[in-house]
Amino acid sequence: MNQLLALFRLDLRLFFQDRRSIVLLFLVPIGIASFMGTLTSNMGKPSERGGLGLVVVDHDRSALSVGLVSALRRDVNFQVTETNEATARDWVLSGRRPVALVVPDGFGANALFGLFDTNRKPVITVLFDPSRSMERQMVEGLLVPKVFQALAENALTVESLRSLVREGVTRIETAPNDPTWDRTTVRKLMDQTDTWLAEQTNSRPFQRLRSSSEAEGEFGIPLPYTTRAEALVKGQAEYNAYAHSFAGMGVQFVLMAMIDLAVGLLRDRESGVFRRLRSLPLSRTTLLAGKAVAWAAIALISLVGCFAFAMLVFGVRVQGSWLGFVGVLLATSLLASTLGLALAAVGRTPAGTRGFAIGVILLMVMIGGAWFPSFVFPKWLQTVSLAVPTRWAMEGFNAMTWRGLGGEAALPSIGVLLLFSALFAAITWKWFKWEA
Amino acid sequence: MAVPLLQAQHLVKRYGSRTAVEGVSVTLQRGESVGLLGPNGAGKTTTISMLAGLIAPDSGEVQIEGLPITGDTDPRKRKLGLVPQELALYEDVSARRNLEFFGSLQGLTGAELRRAIDEALQLVGLMDRAGDRVKQFSGGMKRRLNLSVALLHDPDLLLLDEPTVGVDPQSRNAIFDNIEQLRRRGKTILYTTHYMEEVERLCDRVIIVDHGRIVADDTLGGLKRRLAGTGRLTLDLSAEPDESTLQAFRTCSGITGVEVRETRVTMTLEDLTVGLGAVLEEVSRSGLRVRALESGQASLEDIFLDLTGRSLRDV
Repeated sequence: MNQLLALFRLDLRLFFQDRRSIVLLFLVPIGIASFMGTLTSNMGKPSERGGLGLVVVDHDRSALSVGLVSALRRDVNFQVTETNEATARDWVLSGRRPVALVVPDGFGANALFGLFDTNRKPVITVLFDPSRSMERQMVEGLLVPKVFQALAENALTVESLRSLVREGVTRIETAPNDPTWDRTTVRKLMDQTDTWLAEQTNSRPFQRLRSSSEAEGEFGIPLPYTTRAEALVKGQAEYNAYAHSFAGMGVQFVLMAMIDLAVGLLRDRESGVFRRLRSLPLSRTTLLAGKAVAWAAIALISLVGCFAFAMLVFGVRVQGSWLGFVGVLLATSLLASTLGLALAAVGRTPAGTRGFAIGVILLMVMIGGAWFPSFVFPKWLQTVSLAVPTRWAMEGFNAMTWRGLGGEAALPSIGVLLLFSALFAAITWKWFKWEA
Repeated sequence: MAVPLLQAQHLVKRYGSRTAVEGVSVTLQRGESVGLLGPNGAGKTTTISMLAGLIAPDSGEVQIEGLPITGDTDPRKRKLGLVPQELALYEDVSARRNLEFFGSLQGLTGAELRRAIDEALQLVGLMDRAGDRVKQFSGGMKRRLNLSVALLHDPDLLLLDEPTVGVDPQSRNAIFDNIEQLRRRGKTILYTTHYMEEVERLCDRVIIVDHGRIVADDTLGGLKRRLAGTGRLTLDLSAEPDESTLQAFRTCSGITGVEVRETRVTMTLEDLTVGLGAVLEEVSRSGLRVRALESGQASLEDIFLDLTGRSLRDV
């Protein structure tokens, strides 16, 4: 029992002597759990989110289509931008917006009839980024009540219903004889309906329907429209989900590998290797440059290996510019190596740095949108995510692989990654302790 | 007089309120082998770190061949070979790869590098294990490899910071042999340790440091001459001697000091041949018997005790 107690005491003492271990044990899980909790609780509170960036193209400009756009604008789940179709396509293609809705000409004239006639259902085109199919499904789901809401507010007028009745009468008159029903009786019934509707011109007979649709959002009737989904990629490019996932995991694990290298560098300091290096005619600049190049090469080899596997096994292709792809590879590798050096520069002990670095990289990966799509983030976090280099690395790889964009589309990513590399290099230069 | 290979003047290093080294001056002439002796925490490693350019002194200056080291890449650093106290090696790669790496940083390439590696491995007796990973080596082998790294570029001055820490006696002897061989080749050596027998075996001159200051800097013979007597005579008696017997010992011819610990009496004396007979006569007269007798010369331990008032190993 004494031995057990002695072992117990010793381990607790040793553990609590290392302050960074305590940070790792308590603060990192608290931080990450708080972050994830914020996200998941916000999923039920769309008003706290930034809303999905939805592009709408209204070719119809009818009361119904305008009402639909207005209904979409009022929904806190969306941040609606209205533009022309070419711009909408460009934005979705480049990944600036995940989804665009194209409301066709004649939408207002046909939607009401579409409730009863399959052939007259207008077709709303849903342009989407193929890597964001979750957002596309969300838009399609939320579109249904919006259309009904717009119908109730803008199309279910006495006039539109009278025209519907009149069209029915015409059909009855032109329909062939059928012994199962009495043409005269039905005609009489429709005439009476038309007369009644004419008497309601100044009343609001559909108030109940409207409030019901808004309150319950359930519709046991056919949809008045259909959708046609169109995944946007450039030219002959095709979306390959493996391109996205291999890029994401490649970036994540290259950053994780840098933790080991940073910790190794700190171990060199502890083990006396630094003392030996300091005694040689070797400058701090040469040491750091050598490490930066070597670590970037390791990151590059890792990323190339990752993509080579994806290409050979899962058919991932660089459908855009090879030059741009290589540029993003190099910039991401440099980013990883300078981040590793910066971690080694600000870290003190290997154990403490490992904990700290894991926390930093997990946050970068999460905020970069690898774990959750960024549209579920609070508005402020969506803004913050622009300052996370992993997001730019992902966008660069996506643009050059499955999006099939030209080399110029890689330039913003490469530029931002190089800026971050310069920042991390500056941190290293400032804080890296060379004296042994 | 020739320009010293290394000269350090009034080195001071402070860490916060603690002064690790205070006013240390060291001069090494070519071919000298000097021991830097002191207890743990005396400032030996800090001193050697300043001499090797690992840390900058708060004041004072280090010169190599009469010129100060300017910057990290000063080519005069190639005159030095540091053997750090730690095993400054990459354990996951082979001995040869370690030597290749450190040799390359010293500016060696191609055939010159290969030759230097072979010579270093030959000297420390690790040629047959050159391809093995360092983590497979014993502690003693790692120490020898640690030494060999400092020899690659054939430096004029070797700074050895406790190079035998934690090794078995056999490996220790092997390292001593290596250092003696280097001495014979004319290398200048500064050897820090808290083992006096190492300094006595390897060094011509000894610098004793304590609490960051030099308390003595002399040849071994010169230091011993500082003591009142260089001979030591220890008797283990059949019983504890009384005061009159001790007084009789003190008055014996040539005896300069007497210490008693129960039945053991240790005396310092100028000349053993003169004092021994008189002491044994007094023992016989007191009715005591001698159970054991040891004699010898004063050691560095005695010198350190004399200079600092405390034992080197008890600090």
